[in-house]
Amino acid sequence: MNSLVLAATIGVAFGWTLERAGLGSAKKLIGQFYLSDLTVFKVMFSAVLTAMLGVFWLSRLGIIDLGQIYVPETFIGPQLAGGLVFGVGFVVAGLCPGTSCVAAATGRGDGVATVFGMFMGVLTTGLFLPRFATLYASTPRGLFTLPEALHLSYGTVVLMIVLIALGGFGIAERIEGRP
Amino acid sequence: MTRPQLLGVGALGLAALAAFVGTPVPARPGEIDVNQLAGMIAREEDHVTAIDLAGWIKDRKPGLRVIDVRPAEAFDDFHLPTAENMPLPSISQAAFKTTDTLVLYSDGGAHAAQGWVLLRSLGYRHVYFLRGGLGEWLDDVMNPVIPANAAPDVADAFKRTVELSQYFGGHPTVGDRPPATTTSQRIEAMKRRGC
Repeated sequence: MNSLVLAATIGVAFGWTLERAGLGSAKKLIGQFYLSDLTVFKVMFSAVLTAMLGVFWLSRLGIIDLGQIYVPETFIGPQLAGGLVFGVGFVVAGLCPGTSCVAAATGRGDGVATVFGMFMGVLTTGLFLPRFATLYASTPRGLFTLPEALHLSYGTVVLMIVLIALGGFGIAERIEGRP
Repeated sequence: MTRPQLLGVGALGLAALAAFVGTPVPARPGEIDVNQLAGMIAREEDHVTAIDLAGWIKDRKPGLRVIDVRPAEAFDDFHLPTAENMPLPSISQAAFKTTDTLVLYSDGGAHAAQGWVLLRSLGYRHVYFLRGGLGEWLDDVMNPVIPANAAPDVADAFKRTVELSQYFGGHPTVGDRPPATTTSQRIEAMKRRGC
């Protein structure tokens, strides 16, 4: 029960933050694809950095148990296909799953339509999953993480991602600042 | 300096420090928190039962690694499904993921329990040993027995055991437990049965 309360609290906080960042508006999100407004990139990458540094250091200080964090298994083919479907859906709707919930919660019609479409997609996929069973379980890599793939320590990968993010933020600011 | 720039510098500092310390796992190899381990043993958080392990293997618990710490000859003769052989002397060279659930077993429980201490001292957090060793697996999973006059709740609990036993090719029976024999005798008897 406690974990449900915690999940609800984190979910509400996530939704509130997305809304405050202006990501409940498809117009703002779609600016990402026209390189006119890179807020999505900056918000999402900031969230990645915050979570990554938080998890690393809270574990290192013995406050959280890293082993309790669920790491999804990697299936290269199906996840590439899923990423493609996600990307197309993002461009068409101008919203992603989290932001569509935020848009719907703030009463936007496109948000409600996207949430409806998302659940219909989940339902349809579930119904037809046996037909995709071969693809769904193909190219399994188990628990495959960047430190393993790159043969580097976790800390080095953390530093690399932070450097990539900071470089990305700098480039994003330049792009947005262009006349 | 603007607030975003300050946050960026903060993140960079924490990341540089992360690269320096290397791993997010606090325990360094070779260090043992004796009080913590003693508490885990007292709370019986150090072992699993054969039925629990059978359930984990059947359900393909993510990250489960079943490790047979007996010598290679004994492993080749018989081992648990999905098990990998890693005799105790080679266990310090093992490289598991910190997220893996490691379950050790030996003939009895002693060597696996010693392996548990070794792996905990190497910093692995999710380590267990099979409480009664291979003997418990043979008794409780491969040859479970329920008395004919068992209470209804015991009989209900036994249904799960029967399901697991049949999954692993065991022979659940109703009646009296056969006289105790050694682990190797029971393995031989099971092989003659065609398992």
